[in-house]
Amino acid sequence: MFKKFSFEDISAQNQVKASVQRKIRQSIADEYPGLEPLLDDILPKKAPLIVTKCQNHLNLVVVNNVPLFFNIRDGPYMPTLRLLHQYPDVMKKFQVDRGAIKFVLSGANIMCPGLTSPGGALDEEVSGETPVAIMAEGKQHALAIGFTKISAKDIKTINKGIAVDNMHYLNDGLWKMERFE
Amino acid sequence: MAEKPQAVRVLYCGVCSLPAEYCEFGPDFEKCKPWLRVHVPDLYPDLLKGEFAFVLFFLPSSLLIHPSIDVYSFLEAADADKAAQQLQSMTISGSGDAGTAPSGSTSASKQDEVKRLPGGKIKKKEKQEVVIEKIVRNKRKCVTVVKGLELFGVKLSDASKKLGKKFATGASVVKGPTEKEQIDVQGDISYDIVEFITDTWPDVPETAIFFIEDGRKVPAA
Repeated sequence: MFKKFSFEDISAQNQVKASVQRKIRQSIADEYPGLEPLLDDILPKKAPLIVTKCQNHLNLVVVNNVPLFFNIRDGPYMPTLRLLHQYPDVMKKFQVDRGAIKFVLSGANIMCPGLTSPGGALDEEVSGETPVAIMAEGKQHALAIGFTKISAKDIKTINKGIAVDNMHYLNDGLWKMERFE
Repeated sequence: MAEKPQAVRVLYCGVCSLPAEYCEFGPDFEKCKPWLRVHVPDLYPDLLKGEFAFVLFFLPSSLLIHPSIDVYSFLEAADADKAAQQLQSMTISGSGDAGTAPSGSTSASKQDEVKRLPGGKIKKKEKQEVVIEKIVRNKRKCVTVVKGLELFGVKLSDASKKLGKKFATGASVVKGPTEKEQIDVQGDISYDIVEFITDTWPDVPETAIFFIEDGRKVPAA
């Protein structure tokens, strides 16, 4: 999704009102209960929260010139990979096998066989349309962040087609911008 | 369950900015290897041990006998391709011997590292070029867009006035979606525009002007 993302894709940067800031905080707290005690550290109430609007209905939540979360259209907020590396346990994890790693790292979506083959792991409780962290077989850190298309149970039974949309992966445009101007 | 999960500090490779274990999928694993050897030697032991056999051929016998070198760690660090170079640089860092020739090579590699740093950071590419694009407005009419003149120190308001006067059409300065500004000139003036720009502003070389035709074309053509 961020395959080509650069400084010029940003169309607007606005500091949001406190009410909007509270809403964003609330939705992030709902989505990631594990992040609640840390919410004050990463999204302080007093700090100016800037929402950056980019092409394709993409919003970036930026604090202190560091992008922390992003969301599309009004969907759930997803953390950037840098944030996820710091707090790996806030999201559910799927694991893909080795062969899929290089495809995911060039932006490909994750297909069911990559998760159901030996080497891949699924978290049974995950339902469709949720953000998940994608780990790689044999690696300790997250490889990408995806949005499930179908639930984990369906992935296991149907075992065909796209399982998870690849939203943000290592070394993509958003990864490369760890700091704004 | 921890009350407050602590932030994990991740070691990112200095060369490709990925977490160290993903360097093999990064843009240039060969360049990452020296960095990895220094910072996380235990992450890729198999890769480095695989070159054990090659390195043995290149080892000068004197180094084998040298007392202060720990041969195993030394071999672990050697890369088959640049074995000799690496051997010498490792002796310097490992045993503290003053070597004259290898110091040049290490400084050269440092220079390479410095240039590569933008791999993970934001780049502000400011290639000095003027881009000319034609946009069709109605079926008959079009607008010629000139972008990038300001990079050559040209005041856009003056430029647009001159362009309008010269070609007897309307010309205006328009702001793009970001800070970039461009000049819109009514009509299709792509033929004369190159000459006019190079005549009026001698700073702009002909080679720096590009037309957009599904990909950039070098001008004077």
